[in-house]
Amino acid sequence: MAEAIEVKDLTKRYTSSLKKGWFRREKIIVKALKKISFNVKYGEVFGLLGPNGAGKTTTVKILATLLLPDGGSAKVAGYDVVEFSSIVRNNIGVTLTVEKGFFWKLTGRENLKYFGMLMGIRGDKLNRRVNELLNILGLERLGVSDKFYEEYSLGMKARLSLARALLKDPPILILDEPTLGLDPPSARAMRELLIKLAKEDGKAILLTTHNMFEAEMICDRVAIIDEGRIISLGKVDELKRMVARRVIIDIVASGTPIGIDAIKDRISEMIDGNVGLSMDDKGRLRIRILSRAGSEESNLAEAIKILSNLSIRVNRVRLEEPTLEDVFIALTGKSGI
Amino acid sequence: MTGCFDIFRAYLFADMCWYKNNRWLLFYHFIWPYLMVALILGFGSLFGSIESYSERLGVSSPILFLLSSTVVAMSSISIVSSLAEFVIENRWSGTLPYIMLTPAETPIIFIAAGLPDAIISPLITVAAILPAALYLEGISGGIRILTILIFIFLGMLPLLGLSALIASLTLIAKEESNIGQIIIPFLLLVSGVYYPLEILPSILQFIGRIMPVAYVVEATRLFSKYTIPEIRLVLILIYTLTVMTIAYNLLASLTLKRADRALRGKGVI
Repeated sequence: MAEAIEVKDLTKRYTSSLKKGWFRREKIIVKALKKISFNVKYGEVFGLLGPNGAGKTTTVKILATLLLPDGGSAKVAGYDVVEFSSIVRNNIGVTLTVEKGFFWKLTGRENLKYFGMLMGIRGDKLNRRVNELLNILGLERLGVSDKFYEEYSLGMKARLSLARALLKDPPILILDEPTLGLDPPSARAMRELLIKLAKEDGKAILLTTHNMFEAEMICDRVAIIDEGRIISLGKVDELKRMVARRVIIDIVASGTPIGIDAIKDRISEMIDGNVGLSMDDKGRLRIRILSRAGSEESNLAEAIKILSNLSIRVNRVRLEEPTLEDVFIALTGKSGI
Repeated sequence: MTGCFDIFRAYLFADMCWYKNNRWLLFYHFIWPYLMVALILGFGSLFGSIESYSERLGVSSPILFLLSSTVVAMSSISIVSSLAEFVIENRWSGTLPYIMLTPAETPIIFIAAGLPDAIISPLITVAAILPAALYLEGISGGIRILTILIFIFLGMLPLLGLSALIASLTLIAKEESNIGQIIIPFLLLVSGVYYPLEILPSILQFIGRIMPVAYVVEATRLFSKYTIPEIRLVLILIYTLTVMTIAYNLLASLTLKRADRALRGKGVI
């Protein structure tokens, strides 16, 4: 069986202009994709991970036939996305953003019927499919199928968005950040459904996400993309094994007299390893150091010394196995994605 | 594969839902022709009597003519707005990419999407003015209005192409400018909706002659005169509107195809 998605040496450049006054503009060329290659199989959930501006949405738009590539090739369901765009569109379901994309003064049901008609679904088949999807996605249970879209919460909008992508029951789903902004129960329900669609219905799912936890939970394979290049691709376990000979030092501290970037710089200067810092909603500082096995003790001692010099109180220290987020930090040298 | 009929059906459904969910819109469509006529008569009476207006236009019932012209104007505004603003409205609501994902050619999507409005808007407006026509001129007034409706439908077909052409400009424009809002008053000015085209400067008369709305207005005048119009004149109007339908829609198709390819290259959709 052919691959669901085949991408080979795909490149894309954007020409944008920078305003330099009322009439003067400076042309800027942005290389969004630099020869990326990957494939997605049927029955697989494939995650495209990366920070903002990495090239995830550009890839999604090319595969969805909304954007023309400059070089390389992309095939979806065995068809070239440029030459056979209509056939490709018949084989895919797409979500681009979950917070909009529907008519505000139409109900969820009416919106689905309208998009179903646009896709060429007719008569009873359309009514049956719309009812079925409203049930599967839980909108019927929530009693909002016949409410205006403007009254929907973000979680409901995300469900309706996925329902639209599934209207034609396409073999391939291309989803750009399908759980972005959802509350934990809605995100969890969405993830469970995506796993079911791939494993039970055999659909190929390509999804982009910032969320490492999500990728680890549902993706069979992931590609880490940064600045238009795929810097790593493989099964989640394989990627984690790449940094297996490393240890994570997880420190939770409180009371920060200086900015977290300054703390990060001081720790990074003194230790041998990648440092990631974040602040939780309770104002606690979380420091994660990806350290080589064997040097974790000296790195930990150095980090605690720096923190105590800054009068930062260390609340908890823990050594743990690396996560996908740590893989990302190790590979890109970036944190806080 | 999605065809022209599927897109037409989808937009007919969406329009019906729109009217169902926004009932004031329907009320506005019914009341607007009367408000327009009242406004024009009010202003017109400052410059001359209703009899002189009637004489100048050569129509038996100036109020009936004004009501008919309002149907032409409202239908034209509706079709130009719905297509010219199609891109901007769908960009704002985030629906544009999903519409462009329809497995059909872009020109087919645009033209078929405008068709329901080209049918519904004249029908609603005619339904609104029919009681007035019957009251003013009896059965003959009603028949005249329904005959004019046929010409309005004919006139909407080339206007559909012209509006799609405007929509392609909106697709290409980097700014979110509402080109439709600029076009509509100009379209009404040069089409002679409320006064004869002959009193306009020659350059505006020329522009008016290439606008389909001008021919629908001409038909409205013909059918609002004292006598039954010459069949030769009616045939000329039908012929002109047919040629315009083919020309404008063909031009719109070509422009939309180019605009679509350019946009898919830039990633603006």
